[in-house]
Amino acid sequence: MKTSVHSEKHPEKRKKYPQIKNIIDLYDHNASSLIQILHAAQEVNGYLSVDLQQFIADELKLPFSQVSGVVSFYSFFSTTPRGEHTIRVCLGTACYVRGGKRIVEHLMKTLRVGLGETTSDGKFTFEVARCIGSCGLAPAVMIDDVVYKQMTPIKLNELLARF
Amino acid sequence: MGSIIKNLEDLKAIYLEYSEKNKKFKHEVLVCAGAGCVSSDCKKVLDAVVAEAKTLSLNGMIRIFETGCMGTCAVGPIMLILPEGIYYTSLTPKTAQKVLKAHIVDNVILKEHTFYDNALKKYVPKIDDINFFKEQVRIALRNCGRLEYNSIEAYIAVQGYFACEKALTSMSSREVIEEIIISGLRGRGGGGFPTGIKWLAAQSTDAEQKFIVCNADEGDPGAFMDRSIIEGDPHTLIEGMIIAGYAIRANLGYVYIRAEYPLAIERLEKAIKQARERALLGRNILGSDFDFDLEIRIGAGAFVCGEETALLASIEGKRGEPTQKPPYPAEKGLFGKPTLINNVETLVNIPAIIEKGGQWYSQFGTEKARGTKVYALAGDIVNTGIIEVPIGLPLGEIIFKIGGGMRNKKRFKAAQIGGPSGGCLKQDNLNSTTDYESLAQLGAIMGSGGLIAMNEDTCMVDTARYFLDFIRDESCGKCVSCRVGTKRMLEILERLTVGEGQKGDIDLLLELGGVIKDTAMCGLGQTAPNPVFSTIKYFREEYEEHIHKKHCRAGVCADLFISPCENSCPANVNIPGYLSLIAAGRFIDAYNLVRQENPLPAICGRICTHPCELKCRRETVDEAVAICDLKRFISDYAMKNEKEYAHTIVFAKNGQRVAIIGAGASGLTCGYYLARTGYEVDIYEREAVAGGVLAFGIPEYRLPTAILKREIDLIKRVGVNIITNTEVGKNIEFKELRTTYNAVYVATGTLLPQKIDVPGENLKGVLPGISFLKDVKLFKSVKLNDHKVAVIGGGNTAIDSARTALRLGAKKVTILYRRTREMMPAYDFEIEEALHEGIELIELVSPVRFISNRRGRVAFIECVRRQISNFDNTGRRNTKAIENSNFLIEVDTVITAAGQYGDLPFVSKEEIGVTPLGTFVVDEDTQMTKLAGVFAGGDVVRGPDEIIRAIADGKNAAQSIDLYLNGNGILNKGEKIEIPQIFDGDDIMYHNRFPMELLAVEDRINSFDEVVTGYHKLNAMAEAMRCLHCDRR
Repeated sequence: MKTSVHSEKHPEKRKKYPQIKNIIDLYDHNASSLIQILHAAQEVNGYLSVDLQQFIADELKLPFSQVSGVVSFYSFFSTTPRGEHTIRVCLGTACYVRGGKRIVEHLMKTLRVGLGETTSDGKFTFEVARCIGSCGLAPAVMIDDVVYKQMTPIKLNELLARF
Repeated sequence: MGSIIKNLEDLKAIYLEYSEKNKKFKHEVLVCAGAGCVSSDCKKVLDAVVAEAKTLSLNGMIRIFETGCMGTCAVGPIMLILPEGIYYTSLTPKTAQKVLKAHIVDNVILKEHTFYDNALKKYVPKIDDINFFKEQVRIALRNCGRLEYNSIEAYIAVQGYFACEKALTSMSSREVIEEIIISGLRGRGGGGFPTGIKWLAAQSTDAEQKFIVCNADEGDPGAFMDRSIIEGDPHTLIEGMIIAGYAIRANLGYVYIRAEYPLAIERLEKAIKQARERALLGRNILGSDFDFDLEIRIGAGAFVCGEETALLASIEGKRGEPTQKPPYPAEKGLFGKPTLINNVETLVNIPAIIEKGGQWYSQFGTEKARGTKVYALAGDIVNTGIIEVPIGLPLGEIIFKIGGGMRNKKRFKAAQIGGPSGGCLKQDNLNSTTDYESLAQLGAIMGSGGLIAMNEDTCMVDTARYFLDFIRDESCGKCVSCRVGTKRMLEILERLTVGEGQKGDIDLLLELGGVIKDTAMCGLGQTAPNPVFSTIKYFREEYEEHIHKKHCRAGVCADLFISPCENSCPANVNIPGYLSLIAAGRFIDAYNLVRQENPLPAICGRICTHPCELKCRRETVDEAVAICDLKRFISDYAMKNEKEYAHTIVFAKNGQRVAIIGAGASGLTCGYYLARTGYEVDIYEREAVAGGVLAFGIPEYRLPTAILKREIDLIKRVGVNIITNTEVGKNIEFKELRTTYNAVYVATGTLLPQKIDVPGENLKGVLPGISFLKDVKLFKSVKLNDHKVAVIGGGNTAIDSARTALRLGAKKVTILYRRTREMMPAYDFEIEEALHEGIELIELVSPVRFISNRRGRVAFIECVRRQISNFDNTGRRNTKAIENSNFLIEVDTVITAAGQYGDLPFVSKEEIGVTPLGTFVVDEDTQMTKLAGVFAGGDVVRGPDEIIRAIADGKNAAQSIDLYLNGNGILNKGEKIEIPQIFDGDDIMYHNRFPMELLAVEDRINSFDEVVTGYHKLNAMAEAMRCLHCDRR
């Protein structure tokens, strides 16, 4: 039976699995390293599909439900494809006090995305971060790994144009 | 890669080699690479500096390296040049190169690129002179900002790993623990449990394998201390953990770092690798029989994993759900083995304690809480960043002296301490010490050290909602109390912020919070209600305002108002509305719109305190919109073009009569609305002219008599009858008013001057300010030719008196104020103009006595100098006299302006109800006094206050009187005015305020002509277009 190209089990979607298997080998197939493995797997595959979770569970000899339980617990893990870039707006207390809420509203309007969603062109995934520890530079916005400080809607427009 | 370090000699050799190598450098250039500066592009600055050094051939002479966080995150990128210790801030690649060249080659310090102290208002180039650093005692942060964090040799060169060697080779584990106990160190993660005791318990547990875990999860919003330490001095954490492992006999340690800190993870990983390469981690460390190794475990975005049992579960690769305690981790922890868990800050203090001794550490701090604490200062404070101070330092010192005070001159409102598990402290607590016990007593906790300063624009209900939202999101869901309870609390708070609060909500929050606190399984749930408890305790009025009046005084809960400006106006003038009308060129419509809520716009446009402008969101772009000045513009325009006026519609008389005592702002306003709504109104005024303080308390050059007369005429035109020269209690009895009128409104103001209680106050030539101004304006009988005049006070009356005295020909005018200029309650603009006109201001001085000449007239003031002391309960600094600093000032006239009070001689105090301040007791909503049908408002109720509040009181009283007399409470404010929607969707055009025109200084001081001549029409329209229309939804 041919697998639909949209299915998670399609060979195209599984092409990164050997790389992930290597990672699991590096961790000695140790179940207590599950979180580090999931981080690496998400880095490689872009997201942790149900099929991938099953794969990891099999490799670590864990029940699927346990792996899935960990994936659903931690906010860093995503079960849906993510955008090319992740925008995280900090809504920690300091940023909130200095206008973080307005930045969120502006992004939702300009990019036409809701929280946790990816733009229709797959470019950006938009999330709210709790506090990224750059309180001295509030309000802060992270795009991928870089933190941008003292953001305003105007600066944000200029920044997004660069991507 | 360097050689293996086997013993103390090896350490010493590296120490010497490193010191020798760097002796030859004339200067060391340290570039901050803390997380904050990394976001501020410090890498580009570093590269530029390195390139410049190469260009200038300085490579043999100077050494450039990166350090961890120096602490002043708001002004990065930063460069510190040693040995002079010059601290350069806010650098760009270009300015860094400029500064380097000037410093190293030209021996010149470019002051304008050094640290600016906001409290002292000056540049302070040397780091050792900067208050931000002077007040600190850096133990956990001893190397942060001074050390090349990525070099183990650099660490050893500052005695790194020497403490470890000492502990491992010459102390028993028991002796190590003794030192920690003597030090008095308590857990710095928030719990505050005595570390030594915790270690003792872990050590005495017998087990084959034990673990030591470092909690670097730091999930509290507003906390960034631990990350700064790990990023700036990773080796000290390693050293601390080795010693801890040795003390309790654990051979493996884990550092659990949250995933949001990739920089910390990277730098610690590198440091661990270096330590392993040099055999400082591994087997037989430094020749001892102790093996120890460290691993990093990364979190994945769960705040609850900061709780120790959840953290351990996470290290084990499971869901981060807390478990019941007991068993405690010391008994049964990671993988079921006894585990010691300590916070980063606790552990990095260990090497210093072992090196210098527990006794040394215990000299800092308070008796019950020894040592120092690292705080992360954030929020509306000037110097955001990382500091370390002895435990117990008063909160006010931390916020104002070290933190530089509040940004943008906003007032301090509250400080959140301890994150979402903590509570807030308010102005009253600025003198309280910050140690575990005193904070707990105030309903807050020390917590991890995140300290968020909040200004007057913060809504405490919204803040509580914010914390609960965070907690609800992070709740692991295991226990019902937390999972459901926090959600229910959040729902209540959300209702409050959108105007759906109900009576009983506050009690419900307290009850629900109490249940959650008592029944939740872990610390997250147990402390979840704390921010709510704390804000209700200290800011209950705000909750009540949200519930009963649907009002958010901070202007945050957008569903409760049109715009922040309109919300802050006591009279609720539709500000965005009238700005739209001005922008559309419809000035008369704008004027009429304002008059619907405020019948004295020409006056307010000249003297209002404009609280609206303090909330104007345009301030975050460039400058607040000139709302007050624009109101003046339309009023003056209307005066010139009177014919264009719409005829005012007044309701038919309803046969009822109201008497008003006092024709000041409040009385006139009340009369205006009542007359329009159909009442017959008589205002009884003691003086010969109407206006109250407006008539004789405000100088002509600020409020011309012609303007006042016209505003009063307009009020008379709607049918208000003003009877002057009639004093109630003298010319007519109060009792008579009560019988012949249906209601009475008392608005007599505060016209009696406060005494300043200084000997000689009754001498000739010593005048109370308010009497002086009255004499000048009404009787024009004062002569001050060539007098030396001293004015005592710092409010508007003092400034008005000073500027008036100048215009009356005084030779010299000096203002004496007991505090500093920033603390003067007078309007900034007035103070500035007074100084501009040549008036002298002497700060921090107060009168001791007045000395007369032979004719009984004042000739000298004996003054004493003052210095700043602690805070009073409004957050203002008190001052105290400096002994033996007395001196004399020669004077001819003294004007005292130390406040006013009101009095009602015509009715007894028992009948009407008087507060200790001498103001009248009224019901807050209806403004009725204890006497039925007698209402009061304005300064006589509030004490000397703003005119707009007196107007709001008058309007509110009119409504209450209408309701009392069986009306429907709807005042006749005129026909609805259609307001155009001005919105072009274009980008915001940056532009500072369009200026008004002022009289030149030379033309001013010899006349009482108005100093401000008003807006040019085109500038007015352009200024109105700067409005961001926050009312748009």
